[in-house]
Amino acid sequence: MDYLYHILVLAMIFSIFAMSLNLELGFAGLYNFGHIAFFAIGAYTSALLSLNGVPIPLAVVAALVVAGVIGAILARFTLGLTGDYFGIATLVFAEMVQLLLLNERDITRGPMGLPGIPRPAWIGSGPESLVWFLLVAGMGTAIVFLLLQRLANAPFGRALKVVREDEFVAQALGKDTTRLKTKAMVVGSVLAGFAGVLWAHYITYISPADFTLNETIFVLLCVVVGGKGTNLGPLLGGFAIVFFGEFVRFIPIPSEFSRFVAPLQGMIYGGLLIVMMLKRPQGLISESRR
Amino acid sequence: MLELKNVRKSFGGLIAVNDVSFDLGDVGISGLIGPNGSGKTTLFHLISGFYKLDSGTISLKGEPISGLPPHAISQLGLSRTFQQTRVLPFLSTLDNLISAAPNQLGENLLPLFFMAKKVRQEEALNREKAMEILEQLKLSDLATLPAGDLSYGQQKLLELGRVLMADPALIILDEPTAGINPSLIRSLVTTLKQLRDKGIKIFLVEHNMPLVAELCEKIYVMDSGALIFSGSPEEVQGNKRVIEAYLGRDNNAA
Amino acid sequence: MTAYYLQLIVNGIIAGSIYAMFAVGLTMVYGVFKFINFSHGELITWGAYLGLMFTSPPFSLPLYQAAVPALAITVALGLAQDWFIYRPLRQSNPVSLLIASIGLSYLMRNAIRLFWGSDFQTFNLPVARGLSFGGIYITIPQLFMVTAAVVFLTILYLLFTRTLLGKSLRAASDNMELADIMGINMTRVTVTVWVLASVFAGTGGILLAMDTNMDPMMGMSSLIKAFAAVLLGGAGNVWGALVGGLFIGIAENVSVAFISPGYKDFISFALIFILLLFRPTGIFGIKGGVR
Repeated sequence: MDYLYHILVLAMIFSIFAMSLNLELGFAGLYNFGHIAFFAIGAYTSALLSLNGVPIPLAVVAALVVAGVIGAILARFTLGLTGDYFGIATLVFAEMVQLLLLNERDITRGPMGLPGIPRPAWIGSGPESLVWFLLVAGMGTAIVFLLLQRLANAPFGRALKVVREDEFVAQALGKDTTRLKTKAMVVGSVLAGFAGVLWAHYITYISPADFTLNETIFVLLCVVVGGKGTNLGPLLGGFAIVFFGEFVRFIPIPSEFSRFVAPLQGMIYGGLLIVMMLKRPQGLISESRR
Repeated sequence: MLELKNVRKSFGGLIAVNDVSFDLGDVGISGLIGPNGSGKTTLFHLISGFYKLDSGTISLKGEPISGLPPHAISQLGLSRTFQQTRVLPFLSTLDNLISAAPNQLGENLLPLFFMAKKVRQEEALNREKAMEILEQLKLSDLATLPAGDLSYGQQKLLELGRVLMADPALIILDEPTAGINPSLIRSLVTTLKQLRDKGIKIFLVEHNMPLVAELCEKIYVMDSGALIFSGSPEEVQGNKRVIEAYLGRDNNAA
Repeated sequence: MTAYYLQLIVNGIIAGSIYAMFAVGLTMVYGVFKFINFSHGELITWGAYLGLMFTSPPFSLPLYQAAVPALAITVALGLAQDWFIYRPLRQSNPVSLLIASIGLSYLMRNAIRLFWGSDFQTFNLPVARGLSFGGIYITIPQLFMVTAAVVFLTILYLLFTRTLLGKSLRAASDNMELADIMGINMTRVTVTVWVLASVFAGTGGILLAMDTNMDPMMGMSSLIKAFAAVLLGGAGNVWGALVGGLFIGIAENVSVAFISPGYKDFISFALIFILLLFRPTGIFGIKGGVR
């Protein structure tokens, strides 16, 4: 039972992360391949502050603000780029963040990571804490989903889609496309930061190895499989991919073959991305013709 | 209404628009004609802000607009269509229209949460208006269909509908009848005349000469980037320079 | 002190000649098909590991013989990716192509881990003897790397400038549709591009592994260098990519004198970032301009 709770918490964190990416990728058409950087920024900011005695609620708020501000700065520099170039620039940004985390040892302890990240006292750290954390993560997921639904169904979400479909038309219709995309990136970064915050305080240990290109591919898969351009798609996509990943672990395998499990899982993830692009690029939950 | 002074634009060594000046004044429908490659579309891109001028000024209702980004010019009351239709294919026909309503409160984040009621009211009004325009364009039956599924002519009409959503002071249309069938052309002409009667000024590029003659009170003629003549349809038809501009080329497709 | 900097520059040229080989292939694919092939990096890795396979039992070939089947299989992989994945996606949204190539890269990288594990591996070459040229050290494999890079790039140059196929390639790079209309055999162009890209990637991978070692991530880290080189030289420009590769190799190695080695990769990252800011329009995103 505890194990199921654990997987549920992970699935919720990744669903939040996937939904935050989808706001940029699915709605605004911004192919952000460096979204993991904001997950990391959220996790590290909150972890470092709370490890240094800042009350956790304050640390969380600070983490969201930092993620949002850095998102705005990245938007300022990259929004002039289109399509694939934007994707590369954001990917490189995430690699740079990764290098900073690895090398600024005085602050981040480098590859050793940050252990012992505190949790709120009322959640505690024993097995009974799992239920509380599940509740927190569940509420977080619900709030993020409802918030994004609100944005998606409002003129804001529609305007993002106009920008995605045709930037010139958007401008001809009087939309300030740069401002709209910046807003999408800031909100997306804050929510990714939130997912990172949950992760840090749940797992209580973070290191740069948690925030690599692999995680980028993982969250991309959640969005692409679930269906970009809807909020339900990435929400379910997050659950589906996390549960699938855990399911693979339970296939009974002789221990001498256990080292094959992780690579096989990776191959399936990669293959799934390809198959989705070839056979169903809109994802399982399709945006149009609802 | 729209005034151009010494507008100039070149791409590399090629001068696309050369020292063009004119004032549309208070004319209801004005036309811009000229052989292919004479700089008409470039001029439209300059007016709507998609290209930056090399020199000169453009003003709308007496306010300078040259140098402003396209969305700012649009918000000042100038709406445009594109030469090749550009509907938003994955959005429904209705959403294509509603999204064209200018300055929507709900496109900002904070009002969505703190002025939710006002946003809803505004949205309802925009929806109502969009439905009216669909009615007028005879597209009501297609409201929920993705706009990408519409025929080419219907997409052209939808593009015009989008312009109407904005309540513009001036509409510029780049070849509104290109590639659509004669019956749709008639309904387009009717719509344009209705708009003119409502006081909306129209400026259009068009190759269909009889249509230009029927609609436009005043016609501007461009050749090789320069404005070579302007006058009433009758004056244009009799003008030697205009005839030369068209007939002096072998590859004239107009 | 001068010798120290000279040594760094020589190291840079060695690394740069390999980056150039990767970049040339990447930019050719970009030039003709107009997408960034993420799995190009995995052709590099596969080249190296296939080399390892054929030098190990049961084959136990010497490396120069093992390279032949290794490259043949790398080419087959390159052609297969185009045939089964990129060709069917050519007409769809370019971002689909990019995502598929990211997926393929991940798949191929994990296949390496499946077959050979994640640890560092080497060809078990005899310990490289260092040759000294006035205080500058260079090992025999390194000498071999530079020579091979020069030979390969010369062959490429001759192919491009002296043959009809080279002309078709350049035409396709300018405008694929137009080249198609003009009767250039696009199948032949497509095959040639993938063969060249795969051979350059696979050979580069083997050479890189000779000098240092191999691990499943080698392709990905090389890809980022190659991409920086491609941007530096102008996307689609083969000679630009060559110069760009050399530049990055030298910049990276000389930087070691000034910054912490942990930040060596920062050079290419920062370069990509700055270059993108100055050439802000990608190849897609806004379809066909404002017309």
